[in-house]
Amino acid sequence: MSYLSLENVTKQFGDAVVVDNFNLGIEKGEFVSFLGPSGCGKTTTLRMVAGFELPTSGRITLDGVDITDKAPNQRNVGMIFQAYALFPNMTVAQNIGFGLRIRKMNSTDVHARVDEMLNLVNLEKHANKYPYQLSGGQQQRVSLARALAIRPEVLLLDEPLSALDAKIRVSLRQEIRAIQKRLGITAIFVTHDQEEALSISDRIVVMNVGEMEQVGTPFEIYNFPKTQFVANFVGSLNNADAEVIDPANGILAMDGVHFKTAEEDFASRKKGDKVKFSVRPERFSFAVEPKKDNVIDCTIENITFLGSVVRIQIKIGNTNFNMDTFNNPFLELPAIGAKEQVMCSKEAVLVL
Amino acid sequence: MASKGLRKVVAMSDTSFDVSVGQGAPGKKRWSLLRIGGRFWSWVWFILGAIYFLVPLFATLRHSLRMERDVLGFKAYERAFEDPSFLETFLLSNALAVATIICSAILIVPTAYWIRLRLPQARRIAEFITLLPFVIPAIILVFGLIRTYSTHFTIPFTDIELFQPLTTTKFGTYALITAGYMVLAMPYMYRSVDTGMRVVDIRTLTEAAQSLGAGWFTIITQVILPNVRSALLSGALLTFAIVVGEVTLASFLGVDAFGPYLFLIGQHKAYEPAALSFVTFLLTWIAMGMIQFVTGGQGQATGAH
Ligand SMILES: Nc1ncnc2c1ncn2[C@@H]1O[C@H](COP(=O)(O)OP(=O)(O)OP(=O)(O)O)[C@@H](O)[C@H]1O
Ligand SMILES: [Mg+2]
Repeated sequence: MSYLSLENVTKQFGDAVVVDNFNLGIEKGEFVSFLGPSGCGKTTTLRMVAGFELPTSGRITLDGVDITDKAPNQRNVGMIFQAYALFPNMTVAQNIGFGLRIRKMNSTDVHARVDEMLNLVNLEKHANKYPYQLSGGQQQRVSLARALAIRPEVLLLDEPLSALDAKIRVSLRQEIRAIQKRLGITAIFVTHDQEEALSISDRIVVMNVGEMEQVGTPFEIYNFPKTQFVANFVGSLNNADAEVIDPANGILAMDGVHFKTAEEDFASRKKGDKVKFSVRPERFSFAVEPKKDNVIDCTIENITFLGSVVRIQIKIGNTNFNMDTFNNPFLELPAIGAKEQVMCSKEAVLVL
Repeated sequence: MASKGLRKVVAMSDTSFDVSVGQGAPGKKRWSLLRIGGRFWSWVWFILGAIYFLVPLFATLRHSLRMERDVLGFKAYERAFEDPSFLETFLLSNALAVATIICSAILIVPTAYWIRLRLPQARRIAEFITLLPFVIPAIILVFGLIRTYSTHFTIPFTDIELFQPLTTTKFGTYALITAGYMVLAMPYMYRSVDTGMRVVDIRTLTEAAQSLGAGWFTIITQVILPNVRSALLSGALLTFAIVVGEVTLASFLGVDAFGPYLFLIGQHKAYEPAALSFVTFLLTWIAMGMIQFVTGGQGQATGAH
């Protein structure tokens, strides 16, 4: 049995089912992200683990103990909020020591633990400042130190980086991940930013209106999305309508252009079925090996610089696709309007 | 307070005129003339308001200084302070004020907190109740109190006596008047505390404290109370000002408080009441000044995050 497990957890607010039959096991020391659009129930699920919401039905166990009905202050769970939630009347050190003083730890030990935590988040110099004297990133680090000081069994983070600007967001998420790994702490991280989830998680739970769409490693989620929703939500995607031509050989046609797919279930489809298929922009490249599964004629429509990536809009048949290639100074880009050939492997053609 | 309010009006009309300058760029000269005009009228209103407040005060002060023929002096103040009743009643009123403030805080902080946290739909009802003292005169309150608590109080439909008539004992009367003052102070206390709680995000702070293991008592005393301290203080100082000058409750309940004393000497003496009025006025102003000072300092500390 997993360290933290949610079994058939359902939450309703009135008639609205916000979390629907949620099943998830999290191993000790694992970093799991809940990823999904706004309002899909990420926070609600997290709050049930923290004890702020009571599941309508289902069970939550932590280290073999049923904690479903336990009061939040009876669980040993650290919580980090988007709005930092530091106590404005206390200094950084007092904030970090709050949970320890509640646990009646003696003052020398509190002192030692607070110092250890300050050191962990690199805020030794700010121990005696008040929250309002710190930047957002520093405040969130204090909040991390405060949550970790009590040595929680699980660390819950609800969009902890959303209020920060882009640069700090990236550095702080790496810091959080490094600290989590070092302490071997089990963590659930809620976010609606797919890049954030992909970059720091052991596993990602993709959620959509109260339901789990897919659970898997970032690699699996990105490369082998199981549903259209996951494919669209994680990373960017080209979608198009097509018709099944040859189920046995995985051939489909869009605007008369043939694509070959490696999708497993494809053989079960019938000739003439309408399907949707998707290709990630970075899976296209300009054709240099004619042996590839799909070599396709196209017209260059538009070229956009995105920094490290160059996004090229190509027209295949009557449909526009995006194609991404890495930027480099020696890149020879085709002219707009030029006829080119692009290729992609049959694994890149997702039929969901 | 009043002067600050007025100054705000001045500042506001200033900015609104500034905006119209920005919009009406072509006729710049005319607009800036108008702006001066706006400032002029603001000052006129400010000065009129100030006169309305200051003239009676000045008259009181002058009158209080004229006890001795043809000289200005503090004789009236000396006389007033000499009377032992002055100190007695003044101290009693102060003690009652402190008791009122403490009891109100104990009642209102958890109530306002709970309503914000768990019963937001009850906020309108709570606000309505706290406004009742403005609508129902104190005289009605005091008659209600006397009627209810001057008899033996039994549990309805039984003969079990809950308490003796409160109005017959000194302590009982003080308890009763404190309760009455709590009602009168409720609008100020509740509103300032409630506003204070709006400024800090008490819900998230509560959850943060809970996840760190804190129980309700710890949360209220260590997290909520310190963060609404300045709001509580401003409510408390207003309460103080009300209680120290209150006449109706005290005279009908027969409590020798400062209000009735002031009223009494007002009927018998000429100069001392003016002196005492002025002193009370000063005290109130000091209280107001303290509100400004305390909340000003705190506002910076908590408001900037
Ligand atoms: N206390 C509540 N009462 C009624 N409905 C609620 C309550 N809390 C949340 N909801 C509803 O539950 C749904 C899920 O909310 P939740 O906060 O879990 O979403 P989320 O995935 O965290 O979204 P976001 O990314 O915007 O934070 C929303 O539709 C919300 O309106
Ligand atoms: Mg949320």
